[in-house]
Amino acid sequence: MPLSFKHIKPLLQTGTNKASRWLSYIGLGIGVLLLLCSIQMYINIQQLLKENIVGKEGFDFISITKTITNETMGQTEKNLFHKNEIEEVKSKPFVEDVSPLLANQFRVQLSAGAIIPFSTDLFIETLDDSFIDRIPASFTWKEGQIDIPLIFSSDFLEIYNVFAPGQGLPQVSPETVSGIPILITCEGNGLKQTFRARVVALSDRINSVLAPKTFLDWANRTFGNNNNISASRLYIKTKDANSTELLNFLDQKDYKVNKDKTKFGRVKQVLQGIFSALGIFGLLVVVLALMLFSFYLQLVIARSKDNLQLLITLGYSPTWLSKNVSRQFVPIYIGIVLVSLIITSIVQYLFHRFAMYQRPELSSFVHWSIIALAVALVALSLVTNYRLIRKLLYKMF
Amino acid sequence: MELSLQAILPVYFDSKRADVSEVWGKSLNFQKGEYIKIVAPSGSGKTSLMHFLYGMRNEYNGDISYNKKNIKNFDIEDFARYRKDHLSIVFQDLKLFPEQTVWENIELKRQLNPFHPAERISEMAEQLGIADKLQSKSRICSYGEQQRIAIIRALMQPFDFLLLDEPFSHLDNQNSQLAMQLMLEESKKRNAAIIFADLERIDYFPYQKLFHL
Repeated sequence: MPLSFKHIKPLLQTGTNKASRWLSYIGLGIGVLLLLCSIQMYINIQQLLKENIVGKEGFDFISITKTITNETMGQTEKNLFHKNEIEEVKSKPFVEDVSPLLANQFRVQLSAGAIIPFSTDLFIETLDDSFIDRIPASFTWKEGQIDIPLIFSSDFLEIYNVFAPGQGLPQVSPETVSGIPILITCEGNGLKQTFRARVVALSDRINSVLAPKTFLDWANRTFGNNNNISASRLYIKTKDANSTELLNFLDQKDYKVNKDKTKFGRVKQVLQGIFSALGIFGLLVVVLALMLFSFYLQLVIARSKDNLQLLITLGYSPTWLSKNVSRQFVPIYIGIVLVSLIITSIVQYLFHRFAMYQRPELSSFVHWSIIALAVALVALSLVTNYRLIRKLLYKMF
Repeated sequence: MELSLQAILPVYFDSKRADVSEVWGKSLNFQKGEYIKIVAPSGSGKTSLMHFLYGMRNEYNGDISYNKKNIKNFDIEDFARYRKDHLSIVFQDLKLFPEQTVWENIELKRQLNPFHPAERISEMAEQLGIADKLQSKSRICSYGEQQRIAIIRALMQPFDFLLLDEPFSHLDNQNSQLAMQLMLEESKKRNAAIIFADLERIDYFPYQKLFHL
């Protein structure tokens, strides 16, 4: 028959100090709840903002321009990136790759043919394929081809849709824009040629009209008269658009960053900072509650010293006694952590359902790491209790 | 189990005590099955000797060994094992849990390593005349009753040595004889030794060795 703790339990004098015991239980509960909730929120932010950071294969892309001031505004040369400047940006360790946004060196006119009576002068730019977020298979061009695939900034479509009704023009949805035949007329060097263009994709990242590089290289040679490759915009591919080294370098060079692309990163930084602080606060409360509880335990052991000493004298093993005394608190600890976990789950469910309107990036259930942490907290409390009691009992010998 | 003493003397005793004592400063070996009587006047270190043998105190020079293992090298868990399986004791100051009932006091020892079923508690209590006290708190029992509780408690476990420190100080002759008879019966069942320390010789303890402390 295994040794029973039933007759030993009454020998532990616990009764007279209920207030301090309950205080430590409540403290522990609050601490654990704060800790679990903060970590869950931290994970939520990670998952929510992961989707919003413009990235491809784990990289961030940002575009930079030179700041145009009153002094430089007339001097095109000063506002363009030159070859050596591009090389300098490329050489920095925090920059994975750089691509200049090359523009047309000739006149381009766009019209929508008979369907939409709209015509405008336009610019066309080109960028390395690896910098474009959505490249359809049809985004290629060979010399002699009369059709040009174009990638349009989604912002331009929005701008068009804003002024179109006022001009008596039809508004266009992102789905139908690819069906609209566009005519592009290139003019320069005494030559004039009209191409059929088609929007093959809309890009969130690039604020421009993009044509395949092969087309623009050929067209610049044919219609243009300037072989200068200077670009007014550079695209930077980097591991972290919010890296302080990168931002410091850009500030120092007085290059202007497209702030939209790093905005989410900055919001994320602030929110994560807040929840990290809350989490650390929760951890502190947990530590304080565990300390309070250890004082309570020491008091119980001190009050029951005579009884425990006599049990050891009679032949009870201190290790067995420590295990069983600390085991008395297992249901309480499990209870406290379980209640905190349930409240965290309810908070997460309500947050997802009512504050986040069931966004697909989030889950209504707590992250698995929260459950793992809860289990670890129970284990931690039990181990610290066991070690404390054993130390106190060994001291009695 | 074998219990040996090698020239032990309490640190607080003068070394001259070893010259007049048959125990202090001598080498003695106690085997299972022996009945040993130690007669000692007050202040000669009877309780100290019992506490040393039981491993409760170690303020002595010389060595005490269980099975040739010096108990000065034992840790608290080693003592717990020996006290559970091999050594039992009736303390002079009894060492009962005052707030527990008589039955609980005995059961606390019995469940540690049961040599007898729980029913045997009632039988022994009946035998020693304290059956009606089993459900009373031990602190309200008379000293004589408490001595009998401590004796029954000591008999609940297996043991090779039973250490008795003035176990009958508050018992009349008839009750002492009954208790002695019970202890002798129980020792026989285990082929155990009894080391009995008292102020004077007692006729109803059939000792084989007698030492003056």
